[in-house]
Amino acid sequence: MAQPNRSSSMSDTAVGLPDASPRTTWTSRVRWAISILVAALLVLLAGQRSERTEHAYQVHALKRAIEVHALGLRGEASKYAYLPFTAAQHPDIVATLRDPGNAVLRELANRYLEEVNRRAGSDALYVLDAVGMTVVASNWNQPQSFVGQNYSRRPYFIDSSQGRSGQFYGVGITTGEPGLFLSVPVREGGTIVGVVAVKVNLRQIMATWADTLDPVMLADAKGIFFLGSVASWIYQPSRALSQEDLAWLERHKVYGPFNAFVPVPWAVEQVPGQAGYLLKTRIEGRERRLLAVDEALPQLGWTLTVTSDYGRVLAARNRTWMVGGLAASLVLLGALYWQLRERRYAEQRNARQQLEVRVTERTQQLSDAHAFRKAMEESLLVGMRARDLEGRIIYVNPALCAMTGYRADELIGKLPPYAYWHPQDTDKHKRESDAALSGDAPATGFESRIRHRDGHDVITMVYTAPLIDGTGQHKGWMSSVVDISDRKEAELRETISRAEAEHAQRLALLGEMASTMAHELSQPLTAMSNNANAAEESARRGNQGLLLDSLERIKAQVQRTAGIVRGIKDMARLRTPGMQACAMNEVVVNVLALLKPEIRMYRAHVTTRLQEDLPLVTGDTVLLGQVLLNLIVNSLQAFAEDSTTPREITIHTTSDGSSVRVTVEDNGPGVAPAVEAHMFEAFFTTKADGLGLGLKNCRTIVESHQGRLTFEHRASGGAVFILQLKANA
Amino acid sequence: MKPMDLIVYVVDDDEDCRSSLSHLLASRGFQVQAFESGEVFLRLANTGRCGVAILDRNMGAVSGVDVFEELQKRASPLVALFLSGHGDIPVAVDVTKRGAFGWLEKPYQDAALMAALTNALVDAATIGARHHAKHEAVARWATLTPREKEVAPLLRQGLPSKLIGKELHVGWRTVDTHRANIFDKLGVANAAELERYMRDNGL
Repeated sequence: MAQPNRSSSMSDTAVGLPDASPRTTWTSRVRWAISILVAALLVLLAGQRSERTEHAYQVHALKRAIEVHALGLRGEASKYAYLPFTAAQHPDIVATLRDPGNAVLRELANRYLEEVNRRAGSDALYVLDAVGMTVVASNWNQPQSFVGQNYSRRPYFIDSSQGRSGQFYGVGITTGEPGLFLSVPVREGGTIVGVVAVKVNLRQIMATWADTLDPVMLADAKGIFFLGSVASWIYQPSRALSQEDLAWLERHKVYGPFNAFVPVPWAVEQVPGQAGYLLKTRIEGRERRLLAVDEALPQLGWTLTVTSDYGRVLAARNRTWMVGGLAASLVLLGALYWQLRERRYAEQRNARQQLEVRVTERTQQLSDAHAFRKAMEESLLVGMRARDLEGRIIYVNPALCAMTGYRADELIGKLPPYAYWHPQDTDKHKRESDAALSGDAPATGFESRIRHRDGHDVITMVYTAPLIDGTGQHKGWMSSVVDISDRKEAELRETISRAEAEHAQRLALLGEMASTMAHELSQPLTAMSNNANAAEESARRGNQGLLLDSLERIKAQVQRTAGIVRGIKDMARLRTPGMQACAMNEVVVNVLALLKPEIRMYRAHVTTRLQEDLPLVTGDTVLLGQVLLNLIVNSLQAFAEDSTTPREITIHTTSDGSSVRVTVEDNGPGVAPAVEAHMFEAFFTTKADGLGLGLKNCRTIVESHQGRLTFEHRASGGAVFILQLKANA
Repeated sequence: MKPMDLIVYVVDDDEDCRSSLSHLLASRGFQVQAFESGEVFLRLANTGRCGVAILDRNMGAVSGVDVFEELQKRASPLVALFLSGHGDIPVAVDVTKRGAFGWLEKPYQDAALMAALTNALVDAATIGARHHAKHEAVARWATLTPREKEVAPLLRQGLPSKLIGKELHVGWRTVDTHRANIFDKLGVANAAELERYMRDNGL
């Protein structure tokens, strides 16, 4: 009954599995692809953002570096700025300029300058006259002395000779050494008489920068790098120079012998929205991408370019990408894991649900089965009783309770004798119970009378079988107890109704024979009447002998009448005499007496051959007589109306000692095969007004006598009915 | 002949009835003869005698009706009185129409039986007398010569002697002689009487 449900629920479950449907897989893939794309996009954006942030940070760092470098540069410049000023105030210097030919003064000035220069740590400190000729210098006594050198074309001289402080970086004309030249005018009474200049070497800064990983370059106002960490770029412009600038440079001999101003291989790329710019260049044969920031140093007129490797930015970006990718991968993996876990959970949930469904179904089946069993037990009219091996009742069903009138709890746990045992049959119950417990109960069951609690008797049939548990162990005995009280009653009723049927059939027979019976009665009555009149006559005439004779006859005829009446009475009675020893010959004679008028009416001739000393049989004389009566009447009625052959019926009785046979044989038309097959069945008749109960009743009666009623065809035509009964011992 | 002198046959297969009835009738002075079956009766009884045959309707092989029919066939002067165990009106009406005297149902009243029997015997006496007369007439007829037996039917028709002579190729005187002899032998006076004689006696 739960079969279709289960199969449908199974298919539901199959549909519910996440990867079982192609549609779901497709959707999942799209979802995954979108997720990966979004993740990639996010990572890309994050990378770019990281790149921007790193860029900004690098720019910021570069600005910090620029400040430091600028500070260093300014410090270097300002550290020595006071020197020419101080020297310009010195009387010896002023005196020397006033009188350049004075060797003493020059000597003093040189020594002074030498001393100051040594103490300050500058490269050279020297004084130019108004035309740019070096008058005294700190290196006056050295091979590459500035003294006597004319620097009138140097920009710092030009500036200072015009009253301003000079400042210039360039390569020394004398020394070929680059340096920062600072100068101030020397005034005497408002007139500029000379210029004091100091040359400061920036090697120390250079050395500092040389340590930097990324190029740091210092360009002059023309854009020519003159100081920096990349040696090959020194004295090279960052961009192509104009002719004017080239001419200026030539004129002022700014960088001495270095005058091949080839622009450095820079490709500048501005980054929108960001400070600084991207620089693509080649250093020592290596392609570099640099992030550069320029800082103008207005005091010095220089531009400081600080770079950092753009690789950092890229690395940051790549790092972000990597981290982002990793994170995204982790997230995706997590999602994948989560999905797998969800799927597994879903599967587990499905499995659990399936299990629950199965459990529910199983539970349902079990409870159905239980309900079914309970309903079955309760609907059973058969009482069920289970006992253990000792005979202790372990189970009774409602039918048994109803049968006995005791509740289950009153019976369960009880040992024999049980409450419902019939007090008059205690021994029998004990015997049967012991037999059942030792396995000797008859398989066909046994009848047992029990006593209902309310006192009435219940006739039961008890069938016992071993009670085997699930492990095959013999645990006790199961008995089914059938209430056959009704059946017993029905049997009784059937007996009664059979008796009634037989009685009805006898009455029918009587009815059929009524007219001949009446005739038969009229005979002795007539005779009695005659004899009475004769007696009267004799009396009147005083003939004593005839009178007595007549009276004697009357008495005999009364007997005859009584006999007929008795026969009719026997036939008409519902209750027959019952089983008793009876002589079949006598039954035959009595039946023939009853049938005499009938036989005469049919003009048949009945011959009897009755065996003498025939054994007695046990039977009901009236019922056996009824059988014979039936058979003979059938024979009589079978004769054709217009038959001319003499109608012969032969009745003989024989015995072989163990049985008694009565045969009724006629020379009538016999029995047609079609009739023969059915003639012993109820309601089968060949007569227009027949009930069809005659032969059926005959057979029933004979069988109730443990006898047999059979039919044979007579060899020379006609029918033979044979009644066979067991002879009394 | 007085009715009481006539024979009464009792034919009944029921021994009790038969013997009791014959016993009773004998005791009342009737001439009774009893037979236990129709066959025996028909074989042994003198059915040409006048009297009453009391026949039981139901007997074995030959019933009362059979016996009655046989008696009629034999032109027996016996008067049939039927006895029956049970009313069988159609059969009773039938046999009565055919000349049976009556029908008594067993068990009958003695008076009814005696009345029926007495009347039947009176009938039987009458029949006996008539039977006797007829018997004589037939005997007288038998005395006629063959030629007279030829002439008589013609005389009965009232034909004149000449015509009869012409018919028989004899002379009318011869016919006259025959007529005189016939009339004398049969005891009739004229042709009309001859006619009645022959008709009554079935000649």
